Amino acid sequence: MSLAMQFYLSTLLIYLGIDVMACWGLNLQFGVTGLVNFAYVVFQAAGAYTAAVLTLGPSSGNGGFQRYIGGTHWPFPLPIIAAGAVGGLLSLAFGAIALRRLRSDYQAMVMLVMSLIATSVVTNQEGLFNGPNGLSIVPKPLASVLNLSLNAYQWFFVALTGLFCLLVYLFVHLVTGSPLGRALRSVRENESAAAALGKNVAGLRLLAFVSGGVIAGISGALLVEFISAWSPGSWLFPETFVFFAALIVGGAGNNFGAMLGALLVPIAFLEATRFMPAFGYPGLVDALQWVVVGVLTLIFLWFWPRGVVPERKRRFADAGFSARHPRPEPPAVSVAASQDQSPVKSESVILQVRDLHRDFGGVKAVDGATFAVPLGRITGLIGPNGAGKSTAVTMIAGGLKPSSGSIRFLDEDVTGRASYQMARLGVIRTFQISSEFARLTVMENLLVAAQNHPGEKMHTVLLGKWSWRHHETELLDRARALLVRFDMAHMEDEYAGNLSGGQKRLLELMRALMAQPRLLLLDEPMAGVHPTLARRIEQILLDLRDEGMTMLMVEHELQVVERLCDPVVVMARGRVISRGTMEQIRSDQGVLDAYLVG
Amino acid sequence: MNNLVPALGFGLITASVLAVAAVGFSLQFGVTNILNLAYGDIMTAAAFIAYLITRAGLSVWVAVLVGAIFGAAFSVFLNRMVYTPFIRRGTRLFGMIIVTIAVSLIMQNGLQAIFKATFFSLKMSHGRSYHFLGMIFTGAQLGIIAIAVIAMLLIHLLLQYTKLGKAMRATATDPDLARSCGIATDRVIDVAWALSGALCGIAGVALVMNITSFTSTTGGQFLIPIVAAAVLGGIGQPYGAVLGALVIGIASEVAAALISPDYKQVVAFIILIVVLLVRPQGILSEIATQKEVVA
Repeated sequence: MSLAMQFYLSTLLIYLGIDVMACWGLNLQFGVTGLVNFAYVVFQAAGAYTAAVLTLGPSSGNGGFQRYIGGTHWPFPLPIIAAGAVGGLLSLAFGAIALRRLRSDYQAMVMLVMSLIATSVVTNQEGLFNGPNGLSIVPKPLASVLNLSLNAYQWFFVALTGLFCLLVYLFVHLVTGSPLGRALRSVRENESAAAALGKNVAGLRLLAFVSGGVIAGISGALLVEFISAWSPGSWLFPETFVFFAALIVGGAGNNFGAMLGALLVPIAFLEATRFMPAFGYPGLVDALQWVVVGVLTLIFLWFWPRGVVPERKRRFADAGFSARHPRPEPPAVSVAASQDQSPVKSESVILQVRDLHRDFGGVKAVDGATFAVPLGRITGLIGPNGAGKSTAVTMIAGGLKPSSGSIRFLDEDVTGRASYQMARLGVIRTFQISSEFARLTVMENLLVAAQNHPGEKMHTVLLGKWSWRHHETELLDRARALLVRFDMAHMEDEYAGNLSGGQKRLLELMRALMAQPRLLLLDEPMAGVHPTLARRIEQILLDLRDEGMTMLMVEHELQVVERLCDPVVVMARGRVISRGTMEQIRSDQGVLDAYLVG
Repeated sequence: MNNLVPALGFGLITASVLAVAAVGFSLQFGVTNILNLAYGDIMTAAAFIAYLITRAGLSVWVAVLVGAIFGAAFSVFLNRMVYTPFIRRGTRLFGMIIVTIAVSLIMQNGLQAIFKATFFSLKMSHGRSYHFLGMIFTGAQLGIIAIAVIAMLLIHLLLQYTKLGKAMRATATDPDLARSCGIATDRVIDVAWALSGALCGIAGVALVMNITSFTSTTGGQFLIPIVAAAVLGGIGQPYGAVLGALVIGIASEVAAALISPDYKQVVAFIILIVVLLVRPQGILSEIATQKEVVA
């Protein structure tokens, strides 16, 4: 191979390694967690500037032709590590501001604008990183020590990039394949359902955001150490679009897809053509490249919206479960949490709601509701449309903060706690509208509901699979027992989004049970299902009650309430107007009036 | 402080261009729910058409008219041929952002490939200058303000007093309900794109009438102030957008005069971020909702 060819090839390989790394970081944020970080390139830039100033030495030491802050001579590989740290810290700051609950297109907009602000500030504050001209003649790492020929050094850098790629791959591989990765994907699929199962959504999103930021920072450091220069022109907003285009083309949510995307978009269409003979006037090729990248993205979104290598479906090995539990006999696995976790102090009341209020901009959805939920029974919550039943349940589950009033669970004041905190206390809700994690399999939907999974902690994940596998195996057994009990074992590997309406209701219930609730909140669990299935769900709920499960159920069908619930609480116009057995309620004139009027 | 009064004058002109653009953006976003990030590039395309027209010796006012027609036609085309098909295919919020950015990149770089990456300016006379309360305006600038005022008045009349305007407001509030009330929402959406496109074209030409030179990225750079004005006013609230445009236009020119011209855009950026994070529904939305309820 000629020297020029070697130089060309090694340069491409270095660019490829850096782009692959960056795509893995963005994949963790966007592909896995669903965060639309349109400022991604800013974190790469932050890493690049950090590494540059930490290698360049003091600002005054280079004849003063470039001005910058924080210049020192740190030995390799410290500047690269520091770049990762800065990428992570900056992500923490950006994430704290921007990762609010906004429509995803608004969030993308916030990120985009933050990217533009960053460019504007760095360009205009000349003292920061030498303004629009940027930093140049950044020394190459170990170049003076190794004293290699130009080409030999190129290959040394290829190896260096490869090493960092390997480390980053190891990290993203461990995370995406772990229960933590599953929790991140559940956040991507349905935030409120994830929170209702005890996932700290804000924390998980920030974790993914910061992890991606660290990776972006490292990739930026390698980039600047290789090309020796860095200026605002290197990290304009469209560069972020290139990474998104790479993920869309390659396959978001899949690390191999991200790699393939990096090979196709930034390398094949942007970098490789730089070495092609130019045609037309200067700048024409550049402009046409961007047109091609735009068209390519549209074509993929149209024909292959999941990319060349779509997200992998996770299947779980059947570790002898079917042999231990032949299908006809459902195993006697208790789904209720052992009640001895913390003794119930006040006699048999698990939940007490007092004078609960909630306004929506002047509309009093719940207006002074007071009721109790006794242990080991199914409490019915009924009332005409707009009575405030769902709002009350949502407040108990932590999805909404009450305007006033108190909620006590197991003799502890839990008023105003967040959804995930309530779930961790054992208050698990189901939703009126099916809230399955569509692009997780049925089995994953169940596994993600498990509480206190060690594999959802970053430090455990980094220790490798063996540190959480044992726990996972136990959960698999429990989930399979549930699937058999609900006659859904054959759907284990199906994507939840492909289930029928009735199956989704069953999944919703199974998922809640998988969390081993102490109080199960059911919001119309039979809404819109076939009568046969509704009867089955009824029987399941009765069985659960007999096993000791406490439930609070919102239901419209009074015959169902009659068969299942005792006591029954009646709400109308935000207040509790009656409570007792169904028989007592039938004879209550106030209730009749409310139903007829309401 | 001596710069303040002239800055207010500049601000008024910027605000006029911004108001036309922001009303168009807000109208279309409100009715169709697509955050069209290629909007600025349609402005640029209209500006290039104006450039060709003025080079051919025609008046810049002809260019404004042709720019409006081009903007309307191109927007309807873009929606029919690209955006609606993607939505029908199930592309949602985030996917649509990617689609509109891709379109933006294609347009921006396509224009650059055709016209080259250099500076262009319209061949036009700016007229004599007028002094007014310490502010100085050229005839062309007064023309821009007049165009903005007329465009706003027409939009106001259209929205308030025509059946089409009511249908548009209904579609913006609840498209499904509007459809079941017998409103041909597809046609309303076409009209929204056409109207928004016409305003976009006018704004594109007005923008380059006001600055000495432009490039293939000029409109794209103007996008964030437009979005900021539209979001500040509350998406789908044309009156809010006008108010937003006044705030952003004047604030950025004043900031340019008092702090540094380099930070002209940053003011709009920061306003947009703060509004999106604190009050994404915009400042006017509550007043507007109440008004809708009363009417």
